[in-house]
Parts: sequence; structure tokens; C-alpha cells
Amino acid sequence: MKKFAFALLTSLACTLAQADYRMIVPQAPGGGTSVWANVVAPHLARVLGEPVIVEHIPGANDIPGFNRFHNSLQNDPKVIMVAHGGNAESFLTDKVDYNYDLYEPIALVNLNILVSHNKELDPFKDHLKFGSTSGRRPDVMAIIMMACGPKPSVDAYIACYKERMTFVKGMKPTDARLAALRGELNITRETYVSHKKFIEPMVKEGKFVDWFHHGIVDLKTGKIVNDKNFPKTPMFEDAYKAKWKQAPKGDFYDSYVLVKNYRDVLQKSLWVGKNNPNATKIRGSIVAMLNDPVAMKAIEADGGDYEWFVGKDMTRAYEVIRKQVTEKRLKNLYKFTVEGMGLDAVYKPELIAK
Amino acid sequence: MEYLFWLLAGTLYGFTFGIIPVAGAATGLITIFSFLDVFRADPYTLVIFTTALVVASTIGDSFSSVVMNIPGASGSAATMVDGFPMAQQGQAGRALSASIVTSSVNGLIWGVLVFVFLPMYAVLVLKFGIPEMLMFLILAFSSVCFINSEYWFRGIIALCIGTFLGLVGLDPITGSPRYTGGWDYIANGIQLVPILAGILAFPELIEAYRKPHEVAKLESKNPWQQIWQGFVDSWQHKWDGLRGGAIGAFVGVIPGIGGSVADWLAYGQTVALNKNEKIPFGEGNIKGVIGSEGANNAQKATSYVPTILFGVPGAPFEVIIISLFVLVGLELGSITLLSDTKFFSTITYSYMLSLLITFVISIFFIRYAVRAMTVPFKYYFWPIMALLLWSSVQYTGYWEDYLMFAICCVAGLIIKHLKLSRAAFIIGFALSDQLEKIFGQYTALYPWDGVFHRPISLTLFVITVIIVVYGIFFNKSKISYV
Repeated sequence: MKKFAFALLTSLACTLAQADYRMIVPQAPGGGTSVWANVVAPHLARVLGEPVIVEHIPGANDIPGFNRFHNSLQNDPKVIMVAHGGNAESFLTDKVDYNYDLYEPIALVNLNILVSHNKELDPFKDHLKFGSTSGRRPDVMAIIMMACGPKPSVDAYIACYKERMTFVKGMKPTDARLAALRGELNITRETYVSHKKFIEPMVKEGKFVDWFHHGIVDLKTGKIVNDKNFPKTPMFEDAYKAKWKQAPKGDFYDSYVLVKNYRDVLQKSLWVGKNNPNATKIRGSIVAMLNDPVAMKAIEADGGDYEWFVGKDMTRAYEVIRKQVTEKRLKNLYKFTVEGMGLDAVYKPELIAK
Repeated sequence: MEYLFWLLAGTLYGFTFGIIPVAGAATGLITIFSFLDVFRADPYTLVIFTTALVVASTIGDSFSSVVMNIPGASGSAATMVDGFPMAQQGQAGRALSASIVTSSVNGLIWGVLVFVFLPMYAVLVLKFGIPEMLMFLILAFSSVCFINSEYWFRGIIALCIGTFLGLVGLDPITGSPRYTGGWDYIANGIQLVPILAGILAFPELIEAYRKPHEVAKLESKNPWQQIWQGFVDSWQHKWDGLRGGAIGAFVGVIPGIGGSVADWLAYGQTVALNKNEKIPFGEGNIKGVIGSEGANNAQKATSYVPTILFGVPGAPFEVIIISLFVLVGLELGSITLLSDTKFFSTITYSYMLSLLITFVISIFFIRYAVRAMTVPFKYYFWPIMALLLWSSVQYTGYWEDYLMFAICCVAGLIIKHLKLSRAAFIIGFALSDQLEKIFGQYTALYPWDGVFHRPISLTLFVITVIIVVYGIFFNKSKISYV
């Protein structure tokens, strides 16, 4: 018994010794959010005046890391959750423990995703091979709309998806990148930071072509606008219009907008537990970091020039996309997920905006 | 300067775990989970620390094999066969010196071939598509069942149990919970650390705890003469050592199988090729020590090849390396890491320098080995147990972590008692998720016979068949369980 007590005391001593701020990234190293967190962490550490480490908790669909924050880590005053777009997408239709309403908002970065394809691919004729990782439903929906053109219903898009695309399930971002590089997949997508690191060199070598990006959500109007970070690549709506001579519209497009906005507005969002005593300090440090031209120049050089929303502004930004959850959009998203992509999903009527 | 600190710290930490009976590299690596946070600020410090730990413990594990007749780790078990009789005859210094020199020289040769040229092997990854990866995983599963032990059927049972438990948690395709029996604690999967601590380390610690304390004598008249004799022996029987190194290197690149296989294979070949010896094998023949120790560090070095290039463990201890590295942001087998020149230079320098430092420490330590070995195991047992426990309760910190650790410890004892392969269990557990994903990707993109139309995957298939046939009909391994 004495020996067991000794072991427990040793454990306790180790716990007390653990004091750094931890940014919890719910994905494996090498993913877009991991790369982004590693860009931001040193600058945040400098303004906080304390070390900030990036901790990875990977798992299926990037859900376990956020679940673990919800279930056990949120009470740690030095834990900052770095949720990403895949978590936001899963929140709409997957069985998850976490719930954005239950945490203290720190900051979010309203981001964008760029879709590229193999140079040899004719996306309007050839079979499309795209790797799944967390947060890729908006890409699949946009690619299908681009490849199939105007369709009268969600069912018609489901039929076209089944005919035109192989969605290779169970890949990590790094797997998907490698498979694209080897030619096993012919389409890929990345955030600004990971596109710059992994895909841009392939574009320069003439192996890949940038196809379209999803645009940025204007968090005042809720509309999608162009992204100045990708000046040479058209926004999805523009690329679609150029190809099909009409703007995208209909139920399928509406569902795409819902899930795309959730994913991209919450692409990089920082949270701490409710009543976290350090919340104000962390938010203050983020503001100080945003006001530091040297830090922001470094972050923008790697992570792109995207707008940050801190504290109450973040809550207001989140409200904009929450209001977009309608019964029809959510049901059609659920339908495409289950009947089209063959994934498990949960219809969550409680998310519908009042 | 900081890197030098971690190099020395890793070397000393690894050497300590090496000389502690049965602890070895695996137990040392598992305990890192308990203080992993110190490496998060700079992940390369973890690369340095773990590499130094592996090298130092691999050389250090021959001490308890020779002096106490308990293997320092499974990879030095064959060293005991001739090492301990030599120690009983008052030649522990000679046996240890020969063992350290042979292990270090082979470690150096194969370390250079692996780490210096590893970035060049990285182009292989682009040739390694989904069919090749599928066959490579199947090869790992086959190797661990059919080569690791003569009880291949028990290996398959252990592999199946490990694989099933590895599938508990969230379905990687759908993200839905499965096989949890309603226990929310395992909804995100069973954690690897308590499995490693309970299944791999705990049964060995219990066995060593229960074993009577036995220490051979070290001739104290002129220890340096014995140590010099060990150098001379290593040179005179260099071909036995180099052959052992080549066998160890070959075993290391085959995914999934560990040091014990290399050790026994090398020992077996040494015995087979040296007939009519004046001192029979098993009664203190120095060639037995040199032959088996040649394989020890060579296997550790080459086991990094599949681990780094493909993220598939070259040996069971590499499972721990992979999971440690992921937690600090280094994903082995990923394109990010393969293009990281700092990673390759860090691991190369760490390996070479720690080998050199450990060699010097070990040679000087021989004189004090017996004194260190007189410390009863119970004094090692509790600190190691505390570290294993602490490593295992990092997940939630609540009572379920303690319960899971206890379950894994009991399971480890049962598995060991039933002589089921614990290596197969661990490999199955660690790779099940990857196998499931790769299989799903393969069926999505390739026809069922796709592996037969590509030269690399076809070659891997043929090797797998050979391994299965060998395991069923020809494997007379001395390892009843691993």
C-alpha cells in the first residue's frame, strides 16, 4: 500500500510540474491545422510571455482530439483547443461530444480552401479520384457541381457523384497528398498554408493545376466573396459560371454553402473551457499579436492574409453561420452524406436556427 | 548545447534501462510518455533522446545477460547462453568487452548504411503506392506471426486479438463509435500507452521481480586484461560478428519482428558454422557471445528503415517511437518528414554520437558492472512501475485510466502465461487501423488482383508466402514467446 501511495505521489508531482500552454490540434502532424498552429504558436508564446506547445491528438475524422478537450481537457486553464473546419463540418452531421456553445471563444480565422487537380486530368470527362480526410464534403460537393453542371435535384447530384467520383475513404491529409503525388489520386485540396508548402511546388513543376477556391465568407453580410490570397485562381462561383454559363443554384448548392461556411469560418478557431481564468489573458495576447506588425507579417507570409475575429467578434461571426442552418439545407446535407457518400451521419434538428 | 544535453541524457537514460534486467529499450521508451511535454517545444530533442536511448540500451542490455543470467531485453537473450557461463568462469569482463565491441562495430557499420543514406531511400516512397503498402502491412503481420516464434498459431491468435482491440473506437471511415460495449471511455479507441505498459513491460518486470537474484563474479585481478582480451576476441572472430550483423540488419528491415529473432538467428548460424569447438557452445564459448551480439545494434539500426520511410514499425519498439513522434508533431512515413533534412541529420548525428559515447561508458563500466548488478531488482521495480503508471494515466487522469492500466497488466500476465506472442498482439493493435484504411483505399482504387500486376507488391507477396511456409514447416525458433 505504501509503495502504491509512493507511485501515486510521484504521479501527482509530475502533474504539478506540467505548466506550459498547450494548443491541442485534433489531427496528425502535417495536416493544415497542425502546420498553421506551428506557425502561430511561437508568436503567441512571445506575447503571452510563456511557452506554448502544440500537442497533437489525432484520430478518426479528427473527432477524438476535440472530444477529449470536451470531456477532460477543457478544465485545464492552460489548454487552448485549435478546432478546425473538419470539426465544424462533423458538428453538423456526426455524432460528436463537443459543442461550440459550451466553450469560451478566443479567436477564429476566416479561411479558404483551394482545389487543384492533376495536369493530365480533364475534370469534365475523366473519372475523379479524391481522397477523404476530415472536412472535405464542401470540396466534394463543389467538385461534383463543377464536373456535372446544373442538375435539377439533390438526387441527380447523388447519381452523378456515384458515376463520376471515387471518394477514397480513410486517408489522412498526408496520405492524400502522397497519393496525389504518386498519381493514385487526381484531385487534391489544401488551405493556403499547406497549398504553399506542398502543392505550389507541384504547380510550378507543371504537375498540378489550381482549379478553383471556395472564397471567403463576408461575416457582415454572410455572402461569399473573392479571396485576395489566390489572385490567379477563380472562386468556385466564378469558375462554375465561366464553364456552365449560369450561376450555381438549387438545393444542392444551398447545402454546399451551409457546410462550406461552417467549415471555412471555423477553419481555425481557438477555444478554452468556460470560466477559464486565463481566457482574458489569452484573448489579450491574441490582440497584442494581431497588433504586432512583425508577428503578423511572419504569420501572413506562411499562413496567408486572413481576417481574425477575437472574443465577442468571434461570437458574432459564429452567429452569422449559425443562422444559415435551415431544415432543408441540413436534411439535404444529411441525404448526400448518407445516400451519396455512404458515410454515417446523424440528422440534428436541434441545430436548426430558431 | 541543448541538443548535446539531450544526447547525453538519452544515452545515460538508455544505458540505465539497458543494464536494468528485462527493462531494455521498449520499457525506457514507454516511460517517456510520462515526461513527453519537455520535448514538445522542440520535437528534434525527442529524436535525439529516443535515438540515444535505443542505442545505449541496446549495448547496455548485455550486462545483465552476462552477469545475472537475465536478459537486459529480449534482444540479448541469446547472449546469455555463452555469456553467463563465461561470467561463472570468472570471464565476465572478457564476455562483456567482446559483446560491447561487436555490438558497437556492427551498429556503426549498419548505422552508416541506414542513416547516412536514408534520405536517398526516400525516393522509394514514391514507388510505394497503396497496393505496395497493403502488401507491406500483410508482410509485417505474417512476419510477426510466423518468424517471431515457433508457435505461429498462437501468434495468429494474439494478432487477431490485438487487431480487434485496435479497431475499437471510432470507425476511421464513418467516424461512428464501434465495439465499445457502451463504455464511453473507449469511444475514441483504446489508448496505446497502457497497452504497451501492461502487455509489453509489466509481465517482464514481474518475472524479473520473482526471479532469484543471481550474480556471477568478475575476475578483479586485472580487469583491463580481460577487457583487452574481449577486443582481441572480437577481431579474431570478426566474421562471426559481421555475419551476425548482416543477419540482424536483414531482420531489422522486415517489418514487425524484433531483436530476439535477429539475436537467435545469428546465434544459430554461429553454432551451425563453427563445428568441433574446444569449448562447446552453451558452456562459455566467446563466439556465441560475438555471433549473437553482432545482430543486436545492427537490427536496431535497420528497423528504422521501414519505420521512417513508411511509418510501419520495423520492430515492436518502433511502435512506441512512432506514437511518441506523432505526439510531438513528427509523423513518420509522411511526405513532410521525408523532406525534412533536419530530421535526417539529427537522427544520424544522434545515432553515431550516442554509439560512441555508449561504447566508452560501457567499456569503463565493466569494472563496476557486478557492483551495480548486486542491487536487488525490487529497487528498480517500483520506480519503473511508477513511471509506467504515470505514462498510462495521461489520457484523462481519471479512474478509468487506472482501471485500463490494471486491465492491461492482468491481460499481459495472461498472454505471457498462455505463451501468446505479445509482439504479434502489439503489432496487430498498432497497425489495425492502418490496415483497415489501406484495405479500404485499395478496394476503392484497384481491382482485387492489383497487387499481382505491380513488381514491388508482387515481390512482397512472394516474400510473404515464403515466410508463411517457413513459419509453418521450418521454423524451429528457440523463442517460445516474445
